Amino acid sequence: MISFLYAAGLFLLVNLLLVFIRAVQGPTVIDRLLSINVIGTKCINLIVIAGLIFSRLDMFVDIAIGYGLLNYIAAVCTAKFYQHHKTLSPDSGASS
Amino acid sequence: MILGFDIICLSLILLCAVLALCIRDLMGSVIVFGAYSFLMCVVWACNGAIDVAFTEATVGAGVGTVFLVSTIYSTTRMDTFKKNRLLKQLFMFVVVCVVGALLLKTVTDLPQWGDANSPANTHLSSYYIENSIDQTHVPNVVTSVLADYRGFDTMFETCVVFVAFIGIFALLRIRKSKSKKAATNQPTTELTLPPHQEVDSLIIKTASHLMVPFMQLFALYVVAHGHYSPGGGFQGGVILGASLILLAVSYNFKKALSILSEKKIILLVSLGVLIYAGIGVICFFLGGNFLDYSVLHKILPATDPIMARSHAMLGVEIGVALTVMVSMYGIYLSLSSNGRFDKGL
Repeated sequence: MISFLYAAGLFLLVNLLLVFIRAVQGPTVIDRLLSINVIGTKCINLIVIAGLIFSRLDMFVDIAIGYGLLNYIAAVCTAKFYQHHKTLSPDSGASS
Repeated sequence: MILGFDIICLSLILLCAVLALCIRDLMGSVIVFGAYSFLMCVVWACNGAIDVAFTEATVGAGVGTVFLVSTIYSTTRMDTFKKNRLLKQLFMFVVVCVVGALLLKTVTDLPQWGDANSPANTHLSSYYIENSIDQTHVPNVVTSVLADYRGFDTMFETCVVFVAFIGIFALLRIRKSKSKKAATNQPTTELTLPPHQEVDSLIIKTASHLMVPFMQLFALYVVAHGHYSPGGGFQGGVILGASLILLAVSYNFKKALSILSEKKIILLVSLGVLIYAGIGVICFFLGGNFLDYSVLHKILPATDPIMARSHAMLGVEIGVALTVMVSMYGIYLSLSSNGRFDKGL
């Protein structure tokens, strides 16, 4: 069981690396936002897996619930920001 | 094997930091810093430091990014480099390198990670672990250390949050009569802000309407159950503050201020610190030391000195939660409305 959990954790971490490529490349902010949201979801799973490995799931599940409740506030906030600003690229046009 | 998780996560964290520096669009940097805090939380959780992981999770996911986005909203969005400041940048680079080298030098003097013979592990930790249940009836040792054994530290941490809020509020708050005069004097600052229009998004409103009660209920559980599980005043307070911020983001400032007005913000933020310090002063008058909760059994019904410590810790946590909640909410309102408290993100 434990080795299965380790394998699952490593698999999630490899997935996380793949998603991270989008955050590094991502031409626009929205790409990065999307990838960071996926990373957040994977982190929730990783925390639960860590709890299973320590066999104290009752302690770790609170963190996962807290994450799940709060994870989308940043996305809502960024969406509001773009609703006001309208343009996706920074105003001066000299993006990196 | 769990060390493998740590190594991958830490190298990703380093990558996040470098990436945040490289991106010129500040919104991108802010969002990448979100990933930084997610991964940091995983590292804490893998090390078994669940209370720290919880704090990182709530602050990083709930309010950290929101504060930075609202700061960018009311300031500027591009990271501007001036080429003729090369000398200044070189100087800053040298200073950062020297400070970093000094810090690394100091790290070598610290005891090894997980060293059983280090002073912290031989004297302090074992005392807390062995005596926490007998002396305070609190199974989560972190809570008993934080709120009882190290009560002074936590009280001043609460004061730090309080002072941070008061500082931001005092720096940014603009009175309405003055702001009209300022607007005529400085038209440039008005022009950089986009024209504000009310946006009605049914999806976001409905979602936040459904989520906020659950968030607040969970936050109350975190505050009250801090004796037995990770959490406590700081974490619960941040979740409560984040739920209020969500309301302010998804509706508008009018709705948010009708729930918790400016006057109430100031009152409640002081009330939280007052509750904490007040419990300490009550101990004073009952013949104990400051924050020596065991004497409280004289006024609390049906408790012995040990149970009184456990109950007083809950009272202290409620004070912390109140201060943190209102501080987070007030800081968001100040930052996103540029101190005007009328309209914002």
